[in-house]
Amino acid sequence: MPLALSPTTVPVVVDDAKCIADKGCTVCVDVCPLDVLRISDLTGKAFMKFDECWYCMPCETDCPTGAVTVNIPYLLR
Amino acid sequence: MSAFDPFEDFGDAEEIAERLTDADPAVRRLAVIDLAETASIDVLPHLLAAGEDHDASVRLQVAIALGEFETRDAARALAKLVKDDDPSVAQAAADSLAEVKDPAAAAEILPSLSHPSAFVRAALFRGLRALRSSSSLGPALGAMRDADPNVRAEALAVIAYLKLEETLPSLIDATCDADASVRAVAVDALTFTTKAAARAAVAAALSDENWQVRAAAAESLGRIGRVCDADVLVKGLGDEYWQVQQKSLGALGKLKVQTAVPAIAQLLESEIPALRKEAAAALGEIADPAARESLMELASDADPDVRKTVRWALTKLG
Amino acid sequence: MEDNFVEGLTEVTCDVLVIGGGTAGPMAALKAKQRNPELNVVLLEKANVKRSGAISMGMDGLNNAVVPGYATPEQYTKEITIANDGIVDQAPVFKYASRCFEIIGELDRFGIRFQKNANGDFDLKKVHHLGTYVLPMPNGDTVKKALYRQIRRERILISNRFMATRLLTAKDGRIAGAIAVNTRSAEFLVLRAKTVILCMGAAGRLGLPHSGYLFGTYENPTNSGDGYSMAYHAGAALANLECYQINPLIKDYNGPACAYVAGPFGAYTANSEGKRFIESDYWSGQMMQEFYNELQSGKGPVFLKLNHLHPDTVGEIEQILHKVERPSRGRFHQARGTDYREVMIEMHISEIGFCSGHSASGVFVDEFARTTVPGLYAAGDMASVPHNYMLGAFTNGAIAGEHAAGVAGEIDLPEFDSELVSLERQRVLAPTRRDDGIPPNQLEYKTRRLVNDYLQPPKVTAKMQIGQARLAEVREDLERALVARNPHELMRSLEVSSILDCADMAAQASLYRTESRWGLYHNRVDYPDKDDDNWFCHTLLRKVDGRMVSEKRAIEPYIVPIEHEERTAYERLRVSNQA
Ligand SMILES: Cc1cc2nc3c(=O)[nH]c(=O)nc-3n(C[C@H](O)[C@H](O)[C@H](O)COP(=O)(O)OP(=O)(O)OC[C@H]3O[C@@H](n4cnc5c(N)ncnc54)[C@H](O)[C@@H]3O)c2cc1C
Ligand code: SF4
Ligand code: SF4
Repeated sequence: MPLALSPTTVPVVVDDAKCIADKGCTVCVDVCPLDVLRISDLTGKAFMKFDECWYCMPCETDCPTGAVTVNIPYLLR
Repeated sequence: MSAFDPFEDFGDAEEIAERLTDADPAVRRLAVIDLAETASIDVLPHLLAAGEDHDASVRLQVAIALGEFETRDAARALAKLVKDDDPSVAQAAADSLAEVKDPAAAAEILPSLSHPSAFVRAALFRGLRALRSSSSLGPALGAMRDADPNVRAEALAVIAYLKLEETLPSLIDATCDADASVRAVAVDALTFTTKAAARAAVAAALSDENWQVRAAAAESLGRIGRVCDADVLVKGLGDEYWQVQQKSLGALGKLKVQTAVPAIAQLLESEIPALRKEAAAALGEIADPAARESLMELASDADPDVRKTVRWALTKLG
Repeated sequence: MEDNFVEGLTEVTCDVLVIGGGTAGPMAALKAKQRNPELNVVLLEKANVKRSGAISMGMDGLNNAVVPGYATPEQYTKEITIANDGIVDQAPVFKYASRCFEIIGELDRFGIRFQKNANGDFDLKKVHHLGTYVLPMPNGDTVKKALYRQIRRERILISNRFMATRLLTAKDGRIAGAIAVNTRSAEFLVLRAKTVILCMGAAGRLGLPHSGYLFGTYENPTNSGDGYSMAYHAGAALANLECYQINPLIKDYNGPACAYVAGPFGAYTANSEGKRFIESDYWSGQMMQEFYNELQSGKGPVFLKLNHLHPDTVGEIEQILHKVERPSRGRFHQARGTDYREVMIEMHISEIGFCSGHSASGVFVDEFARTTVPGLYAAGDMASVPHNYMLGAFTNGAIAGEHAAGVAGEIDLPEFDSELVSLERQRVLAPTRRDDGIPPNQLEYKTRRLVNDYLQPPKVTAKMQIGQARLAEVREDLERALVARNPHELMRSLEVSSILDCADMAAQASLYRTESRWGLYHNRVDYPDKDDDNWFCHTLLRKVDGRMVSEKRAIEPYIVPIEHEERTAYERLRVSNQA
């Protein structure tokens, strides 16, 4: 039973131009209760890795540079 | 299999502080965040120094971080950052200032109260409010003549938190302030006393031109009024805003004004369910058997909240 | 940042172990440490204590503040007893009611901002008919920050991103610690402790939200029922689980509609004609039944009505609702172009869950927050003190912390069977040993879909039995084929196992009580009547010799007597005199 890759649009977006993860920031990754954010090895910026979001917003509120925007997950919108 | 330390390590303050000299403001900013995370009062000197950073984003972070410390030193730094040219720094400092807990911090805030910016003056008074320091009283009384209504409102709160009979004349004056939000606060503030002068000022506010002030006055009168204040409340029953009518009903019920029963009973016929309900509740509070008949008529009202209240009121009537 | 498996095992020893750093947990840890600063207190959290739990973004207010001058502990105890159809041990309720004002004062000193009048006094609002209990928090976003600050100052040891999976017990049944696994590396942590306090919140991922989005739950979805499952496997009794949590919500958004916030301003729940329809006075199963009936009726669906209020008043309400608790609420409405001033807001009911915060079920505790396992405590949404909400979590957390610290100061560290650890390692890591199989999201979806199909009220015996059989099949799949490709998926896998345990418990408890009670929460269509002769009692569920068994337990004699007259007065209040 091989595992398939199912695409999904994620609700949280990060503005790479504002994100300072490459300077050592991990604030949004640290505070997310669902642990769904990560820093990309490729871009050095934060991104949503898992589509398991409670749209609760600590990531957006605590980001020091205002780089995060939380949208409502598509299925609920 | 390797062992590991399962506990959060918040880092060594001195090591983190070294990053405050980095050329990159983003790095300095992150260092401020990490310093605050240590929750150690020892990092305060580092934060105070970082408050002088030439980069506004670093100062902003310091203004946020200082909110964690609640002390007099933090207050001194915040009183300074409130005057920052960058509005986001000033705003954050104002918010943090409201977190300060040490009453001695008032001494750090007082010298700046004559600052030319109204935002700064209002923020500083907001910081002073919860400290309840008597040293704030003089400046706050003075600020009741400030040209800016926000400053007057914050200063009024400083005075009201102290709950001193000697401030009654100023609080009463404030019920006639040019700004409605100040008047509404004043009407609420007078409820710590039942002195006749306070009651009279609140009663007068029931004729205020602004409906929110009138509603606040009715509510306040319910708390400190006497039966002899009933006339203005009965007048309030005919207010053009149902919100004021509702608060007047509540107050008449609380004060158990028997003579108001016929006027209240009229509102049982209002089209607005919230008013029918409040009228029934007031009649229940007053518990005058004379109201039974009109209440009974509402026992099968279309609104369940009204019906419930009527049933409750009827039990009060005995 | 790669999510790779790391082989690792550490054993630590402490005096008091608090599991769950949301609301009750931090307070429990704080009080334990303050009671005896010599003690080693550890706070273990699946997420990050800074922003975890139901109050991660703050709260709108205290729903059940018993403040002198507004209500008395006696009155509160009476009302809670009546609202829960009498199935209440009053001692813990009374204890809460007597202590919560002191806790409010403490929270106030921490810098948590409650609504105050112009003179700086608490400004409570009347929402219910009888007592006045609602204390708004217009700046409620400060709550978690202020709490975290206290925890950090007391130098409590914090272990973030560790998910507890099982409790350790000694030969004599006493608690001995817990096992946890790191959610980003799958490293193993064995925590030995003298006393353990469970504060792992509600079982919020039991039913499936109508949107089908697994994480669009009413509760914070980190609360997947792990605490219930762990307590069960450790042999603790769980009370009245058939009394589900179901809440009225904003449809699709699935967040609170907040009658408590908007109510004092004049907003209310209405049907499609804009009319009130709720007869009952309390947030109770009875109220939810009325809500459900209206939803299904020709006058449905149900709405939150604010458009009769003055635009300034609506602005004031929005200011509160869209800033704290669930701040994305404003964004949800905005995206649909919904303006509170103009239209009513469609509401619905939530998926089912377990949560004493809003109903009356949970790990059975007494007035010291003690469970039936010696040395094991529980507080907050997972403990059986009814309707305790946020202030109950704080207060009962404090009570648990103090008592657990007292006990830990007097006893030696219990021994435990190290065999338990290797067995648990095998169980936990099994999904990581497979390259192929069923991923956790599919197993979870199916489990929760079955919960909706077969266990959600109105409850029907034959349906629940089918549900049990289907859930047993899913359990087989879980044991045989569940696959986790990284530590994050492993966390989700372990959560599915808790969810499945909770689903089994929900079915067992619901089938056991052969009557209807608590309105919609336990509406058994084939036993429609309340049967006080046989069922005026608690039901306790526990694991005996590996099997799930239920039994009755008598209700402790009331300490605040409820006159027959008062009970019927309440019935009269809530029963309409029209059809
Ligand atoms: C949306 C919403 C609105 C609410 N509004 C109000 C209100 O206005 N007023 C009011 O009084 N009450 C309100 N409540 C109820 C109140 O918030 C809760 O009753 C209270 O916060 C519960 O506290 P708790 O400590 O039991 O759970 P939580 O605060 O949820 O904490 C549980 C913690 O346990 C952690 N955890 C879970 N599993 C594990 C594990 N396996 N290992 C380690 N850690 C784990 C979680 O990450 C979480 O941090 C609301 C609840 C919700 C969900
Ligand atoms: S908190 Fe903001 S700046 Fe920091 S990593 Fe996340 S997105 Fe980037
Ligand atoms: S909204 Fe909440 S769950 Fe979603 S990414 Fe942000 S912090 Fe995580």
